[in-house]
This record gives sequence, C-alpha cells and structure tokens, in this order.
Amino acid sequence: MRNRQSTNNRFRTLLHRELRILFSRPLYIFCCVIAPLGTFILFATLMNDGLPTELPIAVVDADNTSTTRKIARNLDAMQQIDIISRYADILRATEAMRRGEIYAFYYFPQGTTADLLANRQPTISFYMNYSYLVAGSLTYRDMYITSLLANASVGRATMLAKGASLQQATTFLQPIVIETHAIGNPWLNYSIYLNNTLYPGVLSLLIFLLTTYSITSEIKFGTAKQWIKEADDNIVIALVSKLLPQTILFALMAIFYNIFLYKFLHFPIHDGIYSMIIASLLMVIASQSFGIFLSGLLPSPRWAMSIASLWGVVSFSISGFSFPIEGMSGSIQALTNLFPLRHYFMIYCNQALLGYPIAEVLIHYAALITFCLLSIIVLPRLKRALKSYSYIE
Amino acid sequence: MKTIFNIYIRELKQCIEDLGVMVFLIVVPIGYPLLYTYIYSQEVVHDIPVTVCDLSNSSISRCFLQKCDATPEIAIVSLCTDMLSARKQMKEDKAKGIIYIPEEFANNIQSNIQAHVSIYCSMASLFYYKAILVACTEVSLSMNSNIQIAQLGGLTEREDEIYTTPLQHVAVGIANPTAGFANFIIPAILVLILQQTLLLGVGMRMGTDREHHRPALRYKTSSALAYIIGRGFAYLTIYMPVTAYILCIVPAIFNLSQLSHAQTLAMFMLPYLLACIYFAITLGHFIRNRETSMLMFVFTSIPFLFLSGISWPGSSIPIFWKYVSYLLPSTPGINGFVAINETGAPLFDVLFEYRLLWLQTAFYFITATVLTRRKNRKRKIQLLAQ
Repeated sequence: MRNRQSTNNRFRTLLHRELRILFSRPLYIFCCVIAPLGTFILFATLMNDGLPTELPIAVVDADNTSTTRKIARNLDAMQQIDIISRYADILRATEAMRRGEIYAFYYFPQGTTADLLANRQPTISFYMNYSYLVAGSLTYRDMYITSLLANASVGRATMLAKGASLQQATTFLQPIVIETHAIGNPWLNYSIYLNNTLYPGVLSLLIFLLTTYSITSEIKFGTAKQWIKEADDNIVIALVSKLLPQTILFALMAIFYNIFLYKFLHFPIHDGIYSMIIASLLMVIASQSFGIFLSGLLPSPRWAMSIASLWGVVSFSISGFSFPIEGMSGSIQALTNLFPLRHYFMIYCNQALLGYPIAEVLIHYAALITFCLLSIIVLPRLKRALKSYSYIE
Repeated sequence: MKTIFNIYIRELKQCIEDLGVMVFLIVVPIGYPLLYTYIYSQEVVHDIPVTVCDLSNSSISRCFLQKCDATPEIAIVSLCTDMLSARKQMKEDKAKGIIYIPEEFANNIQSNIQAHVSIYCSMASLFYYKAILVACTEVSLSMNSNIQIAQLGGLTEREDEIYTTPLQHVAVGIANPTAGFANFIIPAILVLILQQTLLLGVGMRMGTDREHHRPALRYKTSSALAYIIGRGFAYLTIYMPVTAYILCIVPAIFNLSQLSHAQTLAMFMLPYLLACIYFAITLGHFIRNRETSMLMFVFTSIPFLFLSGISWPGSSIPIFWKYVSYLLPSTPGINGFVAINETGAPLFDVLFEYRLLWLQTAFYFITATVLTRRKNRKRKIQLLAQ
C-alpha cells in the first residue's frame, strides 16, 4: 500500500516536471498542436474542390470551320477543362505548355473538315504535359472523350441520313457500353483519396520526432540521470509520465481530424467514426512506442531523430496510398510492413472506405498493437543509456 | 573582403567538422534520392488483379475477357459464378476490381440492343480505377468496331475503317510520355530535397551556435552583411556539387528523362540555391537547439510538395495558398526545373520562375541580414552589461 502511494507521488512529481517542460517553450505546443492543425487545414482547403476542374488548356485550330469550332466548344464544356487561349500554330502552344500556362492543347490540322466530308479519315491530335501527372491525366480523359464523341457524332449524322432511327444509330455506334462503379469514392475526390492518409501520416511523423527528441534530449541536456532517479529507477514510470501529456495532446488531434473528416467534411465511412478513432489512437500510441524504440536503439538525439525523420517521411511513399505497392519491387513491398502508416492505411481502406468486415483487417490491428509493444524490448537498454550515456555532439 | 573570406572558411570548416550537419548536407542528399527513385522505379502499375463474373458465358463475352486479360493494365485472376463470390475475392484482397457481364450480354449484341458491361473498382488507389477503366474501355472500343464492321459489310477494308472511325485521333504526351509515376514525382522530390536539407543543415548549424552562445559576430570589424555573404558562399560551395549530383547523376542512374541544357540548368539553379540558403538562414534564426530544426522542418516537406502544384494542379490551388506558395523557393524551383528538365525549356520559358527566385533571394537576403544584425546588437548589449 505504501509502495503504491509512493509510486503515485513519484508519478505526480514527474508529471509536473513534464508539464513544466511542455509549456516552457513554444516548441512542444508547435509540434503537438500548431503543426498538425496547420497541415490539416492546409490540405483540406487546398483540395477543397475534390477533383480539379477547369484545368487550363489551349486549342490550335488551323482548320477553323464550323465543325472544328463546334468540337472545340464541346471540349470547353467538359468539366475538367477550360480553354484559356487559342494559338495559331503548334509551336506557340508548345511554348505556352513549357511555360506552364496550359497543361494540354488540342490540335485541328488544316483541312480536317474537308477530309471528313470527303471520307479521307482526317486525324486530330492532342498533347498533354504528363510531368503534371494528375492534370495531364484529367485533361487527357476529357480530350479523349471529346474525340470519341466527335467521331460518334459524324457516324450518327451518316446513320441518320441513311434513315436509321436514333436508337438504331446509338446502338450501332456503341454496341458495348462500359459502366463504371468506383467503390467507396464515386466522385473520384482527391481530398478523400489523399487526406485520409496524409493526416495520420503527418501526425505520426511529428510523434516520431517529438518522442525521440523528448527522450534523447534528457541525455543531451544532462538531465537524464536526475529524471530516472526521480522515477526511482523505474523506466516505465519515467516514460509514461514523460509521454502521457503528449499522448493526450496527440490523441486530441487524432480525434479532431476524425471528427473533421467524417462529421464535418462528410467523407465516406462505412463502419462508424468510432472504429476509425480507435485505429487513429492505436496509431498515435504505436508511433510513440516506435519513437521510444528508436531512442532505446540509438540513444543520441541526432541518430534517433534522423532515423525517425527517415521513417516518417518514407511512410508517405511506402504506405501505398499515392502509388500502390503492387507497382513497387518485391523487396520494397515486404518492407512496407515495417511502417505503422501502411497498416493504418489498410485498416482505413478496407474498413472505412470499402466497408469490409473487421475480420479482414485484424492482421493490421495486430501489427499496430505489435508496434505499441515494440518499445518494451528496448526498455532495459534505454534505462542503461539514460543512466550512463553522455552527450556527444 | 577579407572578413567575408574568413567567415567563409570558418563556416566551411565548422560544417565539415560537425558530423550532424554533414549528415544533412551530404549523406541525406546522396541517399534519399536513391531510395525514393528505387521505390518508384517501376513507374507504372501492371497487371492489376481483377476477378470476373461472367453470367453471359458466351463466345463474345469470353472474347471480351480474353482481350481484357491481354491488356498490360489488368490480369484476370479468377472466375466467379456470382457477384457474391466476386465480392468475397475483393474483400480478401485477391482482386482489386470486378468485371461483371450480365446474362443478356450476347443476346443484346446479336439483336442490336446496347449491351452493358459493369466494372467495379476498389478506390483504395486511383491507379486501380484508372487501370481497369482504361483496359475495359480500350477493349470495348476495339470490339465495337469489329461489331460495326460485321454489320456494315463494307466493300473494302478501307471503307470499314472509315465508317467505324471517320475522325482519327492521336494522343501525345509531350513530357513524360509513358505517364510514369517516377518521372512525375521524382524531379519534384529532387528539387525539394535540396531546399529541405538546407533548412535542416543550416538550422542545425545555427541552433548549435545559439546553444554554445556563439554570437554571430566574431570579428570586431565584420558586419552582419559580411557574415551573411560569407556564410551564404560557404553553403553554396558545399551545395554546388550536391546539386549536380542530385539533378544530373541521379536521373541518369535511373533513366529518368533529362532534356535540360547544362547551361540553362546551371543558370536556373543558382538563384534557387541562393534563395534556399537565405530562406534557411532566415528561418534558422528561430532555431534554439541543434535538434529543433528537425522538429520544425521535417514535416514541412509534405505540405511544401503539395503547395508546389506538381501533384495537385497549380491552377486549382486556392488563391491564398498560391501566394503563400510564392514565399517558398521550392515552388518556382520545382516548376522551373520540371519545365527545363522534362520539356527542355530554355531559360526564356521559365522567366517567371527565374525572376521570382531572384526576388526571393533578395527578400530572404535582407531578412537574414536584418535578423543577424538584431541578434548581434542584442549580444553586444549583453556583453556591455556584463
């Protein structure tokens, strides 16, 4: 009984010490509150449109007849495209593309209409700048559809002239129709596509860094011995009291972004917000535990934080939310399992986006829990380091 | 002049002696690009696994599926007898999408009624959607022409051709013609790495100075101006070979497009590096400890990348963020480099970015000088008080 009370007391004094550190300089509040909130707001407002619309393109109409102008008008009416300029020749349009003023242009060569009427099968062409992959792909899609429609409208006019009914003409022109069902995100909304993983990614990166910094800076500032002494040589009490205030702040951020995404922006979520909140909280603790693991493994601020940065930044690429891991080499695919964000992403996709039962993602929950427990194996080493290491710049 | 040179030499020495700074200025710029390019080196996603629910089970539906399977984009991994089992395949992550062919498919085609094929794609990645959609659309178009030709019974092949496609079209990717992911994201990351490592390295140097209470002013005769110029040149000296490696050697190793003219690239990268250096020195004034630069700057890479307008198109960035992005050297740096490297643009075509970079250089040079001068004055007052 006395022992427990003294544990409580120690815990309380240590907690006071941590709160003093936490509010002693703006750095901690910056990392726990301002940086995550700032990034959340930035990404949400940046991708407010969902799918980019009115991407600037140009038309080079060397034919300039009522037919080509009509096709150009149809093109302009497409949602993702906005014709902002017309150029006399391809050279000027290419220059504008190099200057980044337009993402694509559509070209009618001279004689298009005449060739069309004389059944000489003219060729129109369009050019995209794929170094802006998203803009390039979206403009390609609309220009492609416009070309198909132009083609079909010629065919339809021929059919109707020959006395076919509208339905006959339509069937003739498109015997097989593809109907697309984009499961989970029918609007192809980029904000939904990216922000659901960008948010926890940024949070976890900040947690990696702040956790390693908080622990290893004790060694650096020479306060580690006093810290562990105050915890009565109990590394668990020392760590829990140190990281608990941060856990609470980061957990609040995690809950905030879940409410923001699913209740305020109404992003699709199949299984209710609570399961995603649980996954996010697991992610917070897994990231902290991974930070402890790194600090124990490399008890020097520089090395622990460098590896933390590496892990946190690479998470974004390797978790497969922007570019799927099926497109990466086998060894990288295996490595993805070592990143907590990958497991969070899988849980999000399968449970929240696609609405599969929890049984399908249990393995990823197990992986996150493993990350949470990972720190235990380095505790003895960390304790030794805290008691004996001195700081080398 | 002599003081500038002294400061220059001293700063170079301090950077080289400090292992932590060297990690950011040398090791990270050498390692990160290799890692990133390796992750994305396959460029495109091939053979996305797809399952099929073919209720028509006719020769024409099988032909459709065979053609789909033959496309580079998707691979049919299983055949299901109903949608329930197809969905199960998706749930178990064995397939990323379903091609559903209804029972009346063949009948409809034979009796001149539009036939429908439904595709269902997991939106876990837009790449799945794109791959399945492109594959099925291409196959349906080619089959549509075949069906039309059979119905028309034209006299010559040429006649068939003209009837089915009276108006041909050609799509040309001017830059990054394979629409590969590496050629799209890597150039941006390479340029961003330069700015971010400078932020980290310079931030760490200045944090160390502050920790050791080393005043910026070491030489009695030196002014803040000399200090800023000397330091800037020291970082520039380290970064010129680093930049050459990142922007010329890394793309060559991984066979990424390189259409830049050496002279244009050099002319463009000079203001970029200078803007980054003075941007880093300015922000470095807010760093108190060696390690805090990592806490402050590492996470900014992600927002900076998005603000550059390379992935989320610049034309769709809200006006407020657009102006914020003009404060960052990475925005004109990335867009200019992409134009020079991917489309072979001459300096004249990236004039806007080029001017913006010089403007940033001037702006951050002034802020860095003012902040240094203020710090020196504060230090002087402290010294006098002692």
